[in-house]
Amino acid sequence: MIEATGLSKVYGSKTAVEGVSFTVKAGQVTGFLGPNGAGKSTTMRMIMGLDRPTSGTVTVNGLHYADHKAPLHEVGALLDAKAVHISRSAYNHLRAMAATHNIPTSRVHEVIEMTGLEAVARKKAGGFSLGMGQRLGIANALLGDPQTLILDEPVNGLDPEGVLWVRNLVRYLAGQGKTVFLSSHLMSEMAQTADHLIVIGRGKIIADAPVQDIIAGTRQVKTLVRTSAATQLSALLSGDGVTVDQGQPETLEVTGLDARKIAQVALDNRVLVYELTPQQSSLEDAYFDLTKDEVEYHSHLTGGPAGEFAPETAPATAGK
Amino acid sequence: MTTMTETQTSRVRSTAGTKGVTFAGVLRSEWIKLFSLMSTRILLLLTLVAIIGVGALAVLIRFSFLDEMARQARDQGQTLTPEMMSQTFPPGSGFDLYNLPNAGLQIGILVLGSLAVLFISSEYATGMIRSTMNAVPRRTPAFVAKAILLAVISYVITTIAAVATFLIAMPVFQGLGLDLDWSTDGVLYSVFTGGLYVAGVALIGLSLGALLRNSAGGITVLVGLFFVLSIAASFMTFIPGDFWKYVPQYLPSDAGGRFLSIGHTDGVIDPWQGGLIFLGYVLLFLVPAMIVLKKRDV
Repeated sequence: MIEATGLSKVYGSKTAVEGVSFTVKAGQVTGFLGPNGAGKSTTMRMIMGLDRPTSGTVTVNGLHYADHKAPLHEVGALLDAKAVHISRSAYNHLRAMAATHNIPTSRVHEVIEMTGLEAVARKKAGGFSLGMGQRLGIANALLGDPQTLILDEPVNGLDPEGVLWVRNLVRYLAGQGKTVFLSSHLMSEMAQTADHLIVIGRGKIIADAPVQDIIAGTRQVKTLVRTSAATQLSALLSGDGVTVDQGQPETLEVTGLDARKIAQVALDNRVLVYELTPQQSSLEDAYFDLTKDEVEYHSHLTGGPAGEFAPETAPATAGK
Repeated sequence: MTTMTETQTSRVRSTAGTKGVTFAGVLRSEWIKLFSLMSTRILLLLTLVAIIGVGALAVLIRFSFLDEMARQARDQGQTLTPEMMSQTFPPGSGFDLYNLPNAGLQIGILVLGSLAVLFISSEYATGMIRSTMNAVPRRTPAFVAKAILLAVISYVITTIAAVATFLIAMPVFQGLGLDLDWSTDGVLYSVFTGGLYVAGVALIGLSLGALLRNSAGGITVLVGLFFVLSIAASFMTFIPGDFWKYVPQYLPSDAGGRFLSIGHTDGVIDPWQGGLIFLGYVLLFLVPAMIVLKKRDV
């Protein structure tokens, strides 16, 4: 379990993280989502004690990371795939890291096998591709068989097979009751991997809720309507809280009314409708809605139940 | 809190070990780091060869000088006694035979000092330092382990080279009839203190690497401190007045040099004083480096 309370980090005149509080629970995959420069990496570095918080505290399993007797058994972290000496082999790098905690060499071989690095383990890490570097970073994180896993952009540079592997691995580890905290700017990846999401924007938490709630709650349902009388139907549907976008000829995008009501209006007015498709709101849409203006949504989203997530006045053209 | 930590630890699979961070483990980790780089192994071997090589060269130069003197004396129908040869080296002139074991010391300072800078600055350059600090989040043990390792390696290499140099020198000068063996005044002292000086320089190098986090900058400052500063200060002696003549001996390199000589010489600090001043310089760099390392973001 990771607990951050009022965590802030100021670099000179730039505030990277501002009064962030959150809890990452064991037994599930928690995604840490945010645009570049939002403060994801800084927050993770503060968890690992690499950066000293300007104010606030963060603990892992009840203690500051540095206060644990066996830090690598508590937390395994991949913060930066390039945190390796370029002239040292992957095997020797892992062996040196393992030595600090008296982790046997057999475990080094184990993680090399787990991450599929056998073929390149004796080669210099400086020559590794981005994907290989990521695998080495993940091997390093798994070395101490930690209770908590922190991965900063783990699928960066991985091939599709590697992406799938990471997804299965973190799901498996969470299933084992471990805490998994993983950051990404890839929303599709998060939608498939994470159970819970913490969204950060410009150093502040703008959402902290289960993935499904964020997808369902942020955006009103949009329905695609194809009709022979687009202009007429558009006028009929328009009203309070309903917005209609007319894109291509004979095509409408209706927000604020569900498919059943649209069909009813069309039937009542004898308008021909030849397609009526509810659009599944994606995490991507939700994400853009959230990060568009973090201050506006801040009070609605933090800690509130799912139903309260929908903003009262969602601009219709958002997320296009 | 304690019970929580215990349950956490007990959940760890046995294959990954359960001992946690120990200083011996950190020391072994730094050992693996140092010797798993091909460049370090080659550098250490070449340093050993270079120190002995320069020592052998010094032996050769002094031998040729004495041999030439003896030949000239023979040509003039005289015999040059060992006593007369000894007198050609006035005390404190730096030409004493007792400090021959340390003739190649400057090479050791340059290479081992630079290696010490690189041992930590290369971790900053490659990002390795973040992995190190992750594994040893208290940070100080990692730095202390590096310091111990460098000091011991520098001492061992320098001492081996000093013994080897003396083993080359001894038969050469004994052949001239000079009294030079292990019992000669100052020989054992030289053999066993040269390494201390180089170890101290290595510690200053490590500290510079940690303070500046930059390889080129660290090595430049180190060379400036131990080579350029001493040369620059020697010009001070041209300044009128006695005061300036006594300043250079307090520089790190000169104080270290005094520490390696024996006996009292008027007008300069005694060896033990030189040693203490040099130790002061080591701490002057080491302590701030440890404080900064502990506090700074990586």
